[in-house]
Amino acid sequence: MTSDNNVLRTPMQGTSSWARRGSGVLNVRMLLIAALGLALAALVLPPIAFLVQGSLYEHALDGSATFSLSAYSELLSEGGVLRSFANSFLFAISSAVVAVIFGGVVAWINERTNAPFKPLAYITTFTSLGTPYILYISAWVMLIGRSSPINVYYMQLTGATTPLINAYSMASMIFIEGLLWSPMVFLLLSATLRNFNPELEEAAKMCGADGMKIFRRITLKLSMPAVMALIMLVFIRSLEAFEVPAVVGTPGGIRMLTTDIYETLQEIPPDLGSASALSACLLLVVALLLYFYGRMTRNAEQFATVTGKNFKPNTIDLGRWRWLAGAVLIGNFMILSVLPAAVLAWASFLPFYQAPSPAAFAVITLKNYINVLHSSHYVQLIANTLVIASVSATAVMLLTSFVAWLRARRASGSALLDSLATMPLAFPGIIVGVAVMQLFLSVQVGIYGTIWIIVWAFVISALPYGIRYSYAGMLQLHKELEEAAVMSGARPFVGFRRIVLPLLSPSLFAGWVFIFLLAARVLSLPVLLSGPSSQTMAVAMFDLMSNGQTPELAALGLLWSLSMTALVVVFHLIARSKGVRIQGN
Amino acid sequence: MFFKGMKRRAAASPIDNGRGNADRRRPLACMALAALCLLGMASQSSRAADAALIEAAKKEGQVVWYTTQIIDQFVRPLAGAFEKKYGIKVRYVRANSQEVVLRVLNEGRAGQVQTDVFDGTASAAPLQKLNLIEKWVPDSVSRFDKQAIDPNGLWAATNLYVLTPAFNTQMITKEQAPKTLQDLLDPKWKGKITWNASATMSGAAGFIGMVLKSMGEQQGREYLRKLGQQNIIPRRVSAREVLNQVIRGEAPIALNIFNNHAVISAADGAPVEWIPMQPATGVLSVASLTKGAPHPNAGKLLIDFLVSPEGQQIFRDADYIPVDPQIPPRVPELKPDGKRLKAVYFSPDEIPAMLPKWMNIYKEYFQP
Repeated sequence: MTSDNNVLRTPMQGTSSWARRGSGVLNVRMLLIAALGLALAALVLPPIAFLVQGSLYEHALDGSATFSLSAYSELLSEGGVLRSFANSFLFAISSAVVAVIFGGVVAWINERTNAPFKPLAYITTFTSLGTPYILYISAWVMLIGRSSPINVYYMQLTGATTPLINAYSMASMIFIEGLLWSPMVFLLLSATLRNFNPELEEAAKMCGADGMKIFRRITLKLSMPAVMALIMLVFIRSLEAFEVPAVVGTPGGIRMLTTDIYETLQEIPPDLGSASALSACLLLVVALLLYFYGRMTRNAEQFATVTGKNFKPNTIDLGRWRWLAGAVLIGNFMILSVLPAAVLAWASFLPFYQAPSPAAFAVITLKNYINVLHSSHYVQLIANTLVIASVSATAVMLLTSFVAWLRARRASGSALLDSLATMPLAFPGIIVGVAVMQLFLSVQVGIYGTIWIIVWAFVISALPYGIRYSYAGMLQLHKELEEAAVMSGARPFVGFRRIVLPLLSPSLFAGWVFIFLLAARVLSLPVLLSGPSSQTMAVAMFDLMSNGQTPELAALGLLWSLSMTALVVVFHLIARSKGVRIQGN
Repeated sequence: MFFKGMKRRAAASPIDNGRGNADRRRPLACMALAALCLLGMASQSSRAADAALIEAAKKEGQVVWYTTQIIDQFVRPLAGAFEKKYGIKVRYVRANSQEVVLRVLNEGRAGQVQTDVFDGTASAAPLQKLNLIEKWVPDSVSRFDKQAIDPNGLWAATNLYVLTPAFNTQMITKEQAPKTLQDLLDPKWKGKITWNASATMSGAAGFIGMVLKSMGEQQGREYLRKLGQQNIIPRRVSAREVLNQVIRGEAPIALNIFNNHAVISAADGAPVEWIPMQPATGVLSVASLTKGAPHPNAGKLLIDFLVSPEGQQIFRDADYIPVDPQIPPRVPELKPDGKRLKAVYFSPDEIPAMLPKWMNIYKEYFQP
């Protein structure tokens, strides 16, 4: 314990940290923890309070509330809820496994092997992160739905009356949801794999282990905390996912928890009681998962692979297999980027969607692009979106890098900070939206109806991603580097600023980019919070979607995704010129 | 027959005549009575878009509008015309009915009202209960059918939605397409019909309401039970997107879509046609002034503009169905005439009151 706190202590004070803790109120570390704690509590607790209150009180239309457990009892008495629970669970765990395998294999090939076509992995990730979910799902339904080219040509050729692929099935849902999350898995695992200490693998090689054995016994095992964290993350998010269950599951008659919640929210005014009760249950499940995760990674030190000695992992020569690995990267690129972009491009030139045919080519039009480019409305939307996304991402990474540092160094109270920052995982978008709205309607500081209320909500919902990115990076930083700084007389924050932050910067930058793109594409929060002058691009896309103008949505979405991808490439180039790497060599 | 027929058939109430006998004639006295009612109401709570109002509105400089109308088809052209005419900036937020209610409700509770005008098919009644609506309708609505104006002066209708089935003309021919409600029960349509499963009029709920109202409770439930065995494909998207799915060929038939949308798409060459199945469902979109509106005069002016002949013409140009009896839709067949196309109508007060019941029936017979 004493050694754990060494790094947070000025070298001049020779007493143990335990003794020092009680001695001075003006302790920098305590102040930092208190400040972080206050900031996180202010962000995270109001939605929890709203959630619990909403599930325990019945609200009448006039705003009066009476205590009642009926939301919970209704939940239990609803016959289909168990089936929905089972469906959601199967969907979430399978999606998590698909995403981790898909993203993990690509990350490993990209970071640790000599496979060709490596830049494709990043292009894939950036385009797919720049694409709003709803656009992605629309694209996939166009690709595998009844009217998709595959099914139309199959039915034309064979004369069959049923399509080859049933798009509205659990398998399709898992496939699409897994694909949606694989870029995030790729980014996070890349950060882990890049910072590997090659000594362990080299030692295994010296002892005569072959490539497969090294991968299984060393690489995979050392990545386990990150892999488990990712499976948990994707599992929880898929449990709360709404878009895929609604667009793919509902027409297939597959009931899920989130679509059940949505139904209760359909009443006028929305019945937040049942939704809150379900969310409260979800919160409990997530808390349990986090508890086990915390136990699992308690001995974080054993996974620290970035030490003072060397942190440039070497690549594995795959021999002839490198072409297979290259093919995997191409396949990943095709499935995640080319196919959806191609089908969207096709849709964007049509007045209404249909499979390619001579008749379809006859009606090709530029009308959708003209409509999009003609509307001056979009300039304001673009400005709003960029400000919201960049401010949210910066705030989240700033907050969470401190929390991750304190947590990894076992500062007292840091576990609480970590839990606070992770809690929003359990908040479905609508709950965060409504809670933040209520908060700023009762605490009138003048941000209701501005873009800052959206920033506030995004910071809350992105905190868990920020902490995972920062913490995954921190787990690998051995404290000996900071200890060396402290020994040389550096004050703790100098050590943080000059050693931790630079070493952490790939993870922080990756996290920043991820949150930036997430904020730029998430629909549920801004739809509820945007006022007359604070609408975002996502809101515009949501409007087009609910208006049913898929072709114009495709045109706008394609232009937007292209610009976002270009922006990410610019970020990447700037970062590289400053010596920060987000891409392995 | 709805608004168009008012002069000839007096105030044949589409709402009262929901059971299909819609073209029953009424004596002239009724019309006189309706006119008297209107006059009385107008003098009570209406103000003309006079010079004083325009002046006050211009001083406010802007108007905030929470709308359920479609942005690019209607809101933008209307806002453009309004800004051009009065030089008052229109700030709009689009949301569905329940989001509009939630926003106004929360703002009202917190005493921080942001919106001046809101509209929708079912948002007026719940907000009226919370006393969040300012009693005000423009004088000019006196030319409308009385069903288009709230008797208490809380809202005025801006346009009429007519909901009918539609089919994909490449997947089935016009002869094959179902013509009556009974045709929908044919086993050959099992798994081939789709609709919006949300609790809105343009979805399963509205269809269920129409069946119950036109067939009566017992017969209607029996019909719906049978229809439930057809495995109707539920979708959680707007009626517009349900229609798109039919155009794409994901399913051959859609129920309860907006018939004007089918006309708009068919004009673009889409393989779709709406079915004049009896009866259609008629719903009004109504606009209200918010109580405590930050720009009350500009709000009044916007509502006045929406129901003015100029605003009604913008509805018409967008292929919507205006409520103004003088302005028929561009495709006249869209509007129920009581003979060729009959309709059952639902008032803005009736819908929120009945929705829970209709959704319970949905859960009982249709939920997978």
